[in-house]
Amino acid sequence: MNDDNTTHFGFQTVSEAEKAKKVGAVFHSVARKYDLMNDIMSFGMHRGWKRFAVEVSGVAKGDRVLDIAGGSGDLSRLFARKVGDTGQVILTDINASMLAVGRDRLVDAGIAAPALQCDAEKLPFPDGHFDCVIVAFGLRNMTHKEIALAEMQRVLRIGGRLLVLEFSQIWRPLAPIYDAYSFKLLPLMGRVVAKDADSYQYLAESIRMHPDQETLKRMMQDAGFAKVDYYNLAAGAVALHKGWKL
Amino acid sequence: MLKPLMTRLLNHLVNQNGWAREQLQPFGGRTVRLSMPPLRADLVVLEDGGLAMAGEAAEPDASITVPPSVALRLLANDDAAAALATLEGDTELAAALAKVLRGMSWEYEEDLSRLIGDVPAHKLAEFGRKAGQELRSQSLNLLQMLVEYWQEEQPMLAKKRHVESFNRDVDALREDAERLEKRMEKLSARISSVRD
Repeated sequence: MNDDNTTHFGFQTVSEAEKAKKVGAVFHSVARKYDLMNDIMSFGMHRGWKRFAVEVSGVAKGDRVLDIAGGSGDLSRLFARKVGDTGQVILTDINASMLAVGRDRLVDAGIAAPALQCDAEKLPFPDGHFDCVIVAFGLRNMTHKEIALAEMQRVLRIGGRLLVLEFSQIWRPLAPIYDAYSFKLLPLMGRVVAKDADSYQYLAESIRMHPDQETLKRMMQDAGFAKVDYYNLAAGAVALHKGWKL
Repeated sequence: MLKPLMTRLLNHLVNQNGWAREQLQPFGGRTVRLSMPPLRADLVVLEDGGLAMAGEAAEPDASITVPPSVALRLLANDDAAAALATLEGDTELAAALAKVLRGMSWEYEEDLSRLIGDVPAHKLAEFGRKAGQELRSQSLNLLQMLVEYWQEEQPMLAKKRHVESFNRDVDALREDAERLEKRMEKLSARISSVRD
């Protein structure tokens, strides 16, 4: 957070209020084709990364899970199977369009999970309520990441885990290829498939502005997570951080 | 990509061996380093009693070191070899994981049945078991034949009783040398006291 209340929106510097509006517009625009675009952009790998996140979460039957920025609800669906009838998964997103897509997909899959529109920086849950909180490809878009992480720590019980699945810093030798893909191919795919090149230009830029693996680890420690570990996926293009509240 | 794949395999094994989950659950969140020089892998116990490969920033709470020769003996189901593994750090955790890793078995017939059906899976597994047994017994025969050849026809290997007799002689020699050393020390002490 800057002193004059400005922040990044991709490579642009905007006011904090403007960022929230712009991010909202991006996700409103891509909501309907979000999963299709994810499949195309990641060559289907995002499904494997999400399954891996669920696998290392250590979530058992009867646990309570909070899915933040859950978008189209694919993680909530996977977690719902893990927690069973005695557990609970709550899908949240700040964006109504994304949440509507996720809620409908959960219902279509026969899962009755609460879907809640809320801001991750002001979570409407009591302290120590969840066994696991997950935010997948969402932290990057939050205006005050430190506040959001502290909120996630607050709603976790002692022994609870936060999982952050997010784009990160790729293995350096692959960076030129990755840059060419992100700044040339990605907006082109956005234009052809989602008819929205700007949103995918923002995606590429926001990935570059997001903290790398070690920085995010330190941010999680600063937010109160006693122990943090991370996995590099796809040569570090994506990282899964796991923090324990002890 | 290796870590997600290995994690999937480990959890598949844990799911097939329900008892393993109960053993591991009390240690949720803790990390064990497995070393078989020069190879090394960190495993983390999950909160639901599952197992995963640890991440890049993991700090082990315990370690299990197995020399390669011991690993071969463990693979050959030599129970005595387990005592030669070194457990360090949180030894309770290391011992629980060692027990799980040694005790877990892969229910391949069950996995195969999902792909090709129960009856063909059973027949294939039966064939695999028989082939394995045959291979093991043929390997053992060949090994015994080679040992016999190198002991009797072309002596390259020492016989067990010869090695034992040699060891006994070495022990006796060491004890004699120690006794002689003590005697020399005693004599030196006496000589120096007479001079004084």
